[in-house]
Amino acid sequence: MAPRPPAPAALTPETRVLSRNFGVAGSWTLAVARERGAYASLEKALGSMRPDEVVEEVKKSRLRGRGGAGFPTGVKWGFVPKDSPKPKYIVVNADESEPGTFKDRYLMELDPHLLLEGALIAAYAVGASKVWIYIRGEYPLCIERVEGAIREARAAGILGDRVLGHAFSCDADVHPGAGAYICGEETGLLESLEGKRGHPRIKPPFPAVEGAFGCPTVINNVETLMHVPWIVAHGGEAFARQGLPPDPANPRSLGSAGTKLMGVSGAVRTPGLWEFEFGITLRELVYGYGGGPLEGRAIKAVIPGGLSMPVLTEAELDVRMGFDELQKAGSGLGTACAIVMDDTCDMVDACENIAHFFADESCGQCTPCREGCHWMEKIFRRIRSGAGTPADLDLLEGLFVNIEGRTICALADAAVWPLRSIVRKFRGEFLRRMRPQPAPGAAAVAGGR
Amino acid sequence: MPVEFPPPELRAACEEIVARYPVRSAAALPILHLAQRHYDNWISPEVEAGVARYLGVGDAHVRGLLTFYAMYNHRPAGRHEVWVCRTLTCWLRGAAALKAAALARTGCARAGEPSADGRFLVKDMECLGLCELAPAVFVDGTPHTHVTPEALARLLDACE
Repeated sequence: MAPRPPAPAALTPETRVLSRNFGVAGSWTLAVARERGAYASLEKALGSMRPDEVVEEVKKSRLRGRGGAGFPTGVKWGFVPKDSPKPKYIVVNADESEPGTFKDRYLMELDPHLLLEGALIAAYAVGASKVWIYIRGEYPLCIERVEGAIREARAAGILGDRVLGHAFSCDADVHPGAGAYICGEETGLLESLEGKRGHPRIKPPFPAVEGAFGCPTVINNVETLMHVPWIVAHGGEAFARQGLPPDPANPRSLGSAGTKLMGVSGAVRTPGLWEFEFGITLRELVYGYGGGPLEGRAIKAVIPGGLSMPVLTEAELDVRMGFDELQKAGSGLGTACAIVMDDTCDMVDACENIAHFFADESCGQCTPCREGCHWMEKIFRRIRSGAGTPADLDLLEGLFVNIEGRTICALADAAVWPLRSIVRKFRGEFLRRMRPQPAPGAAAVAGGR
Repeated sequence: MPVEFPPPELRAACEEIVARYPVRSAAALPILHLAQRHYDNWISPEVEAGVARYLGVGDAHVRGLLTFYAMYNHRPAGRHEVWVCRTLTCWLRGAAALKAAALARTGCARAGEPSADGRFLVKDMECLGLCELAPAVFVDGTPHTHVTPEALARLLDACE
């Protein structure tokens, strides 16, 4: 068994950015939130900063999107045209459907006013007059809490005409999803917001230019926006000093600034969610916080951030939880909510389970994904039934290259990455499930006897 | 024949929802949630047509939504709807046994088909976002976590 490393401390209630109100009684109500400083950053932005100064602070912070893709938030805001005569929108991506991921659920249930504050600051920065919060239908308590926060904020003059008495007006509404993973993809989400099936759009045009209802739109993840009030309060540079700096050897590296909610679920003793500065290792997260393997078992593999990332074996867990670091290790940070598999987990069965998810959730627009995900599932099922042959692994490799990168959105890539990494790293498990193969020439020899 | 939609008791709620959007048809998802709750947990072809008229879209557009989104039922559903999460984390923590227990206890032949007595509908659902508390099920929209087959049987027995 791997030695259990000493776990670095999670952030304290004083140093937490996102989760500082977790555990406070009634944290989701306006009265408690205000007592704890809610909307002070909004007041600061509206009262003492120009919109472009807000964008500049967020750029300086090196905040990267927390939904999985890691795009620099300030840069995204900067894409919104300043001279458009159309209304502009902020869309909050709260369709947290990435398997294994539950961070935005905590954020919305426990601190919906921090989300509204972040979204309103974003709206002020880009000149938006409306915030849409797209919450997955499977999160009824999030919908209730965020709608409650909207009602309270409206009644208190924080939403609506002349926000907090300033010359800035903005309203917000919740849009409930109805059960479709693809609506977490930003343009699929926009289609769904417009009352259609969640079919991702071809880009360009990018949402910043033509998003919801044909208007300039910024789409940000819940956690991303909830960092913004802290950045406005303390400055972008203070935020950028936290976490992991850019790699000096790589001019394109953006680093991993700030704090991050990280989760662990699956085959561990103490699944849960914690806020850290970027930089703890996946091993520290899984063993130190997740509590390590269940009684009598050993950890075999971990998907570091949701289901859609390549798997890492137990021997590969000493990688720091950061965007660049996990990419270098052949995987990705994704949503930073790790799924742990142990030695009782059959990897062939796991692949069938994973392939079924993507086959089920493919929106059906692009042939490589619509057909390919079902083919992959079928091949895994065949191997699982014992009827597979080694040629099936070659067939899978052929499918991987014909699916990955050949579709409108990244769902197909997300299907290939975990499956391909498991098939390659645990090939022996697949071969052991196959029909015994006669050695070349063996049949003829047997026949001649 | 389309039903008259919205019925008087839903009119105010529907108007409030439609008013949020710059385009009427954008209200489809929340309107369908309301309609499904109101009409015995499913959207019949008649309700579908009524909603389509109300939103100013074709019936086929609404049917497209009903078949795309997992939460809508376009066939008669049971009075009680049971969702069993089947995705990786819950699967690692015993979801397969929960599904078997749900089917056995409700008398449903398979997921997605209501029981013969019309009491239950069991659905295979993808990740419900309760992973740290796996395995998870929903019964009539209420989440239950760390569920064992025995606990699920008790929950189902408590449904009318």
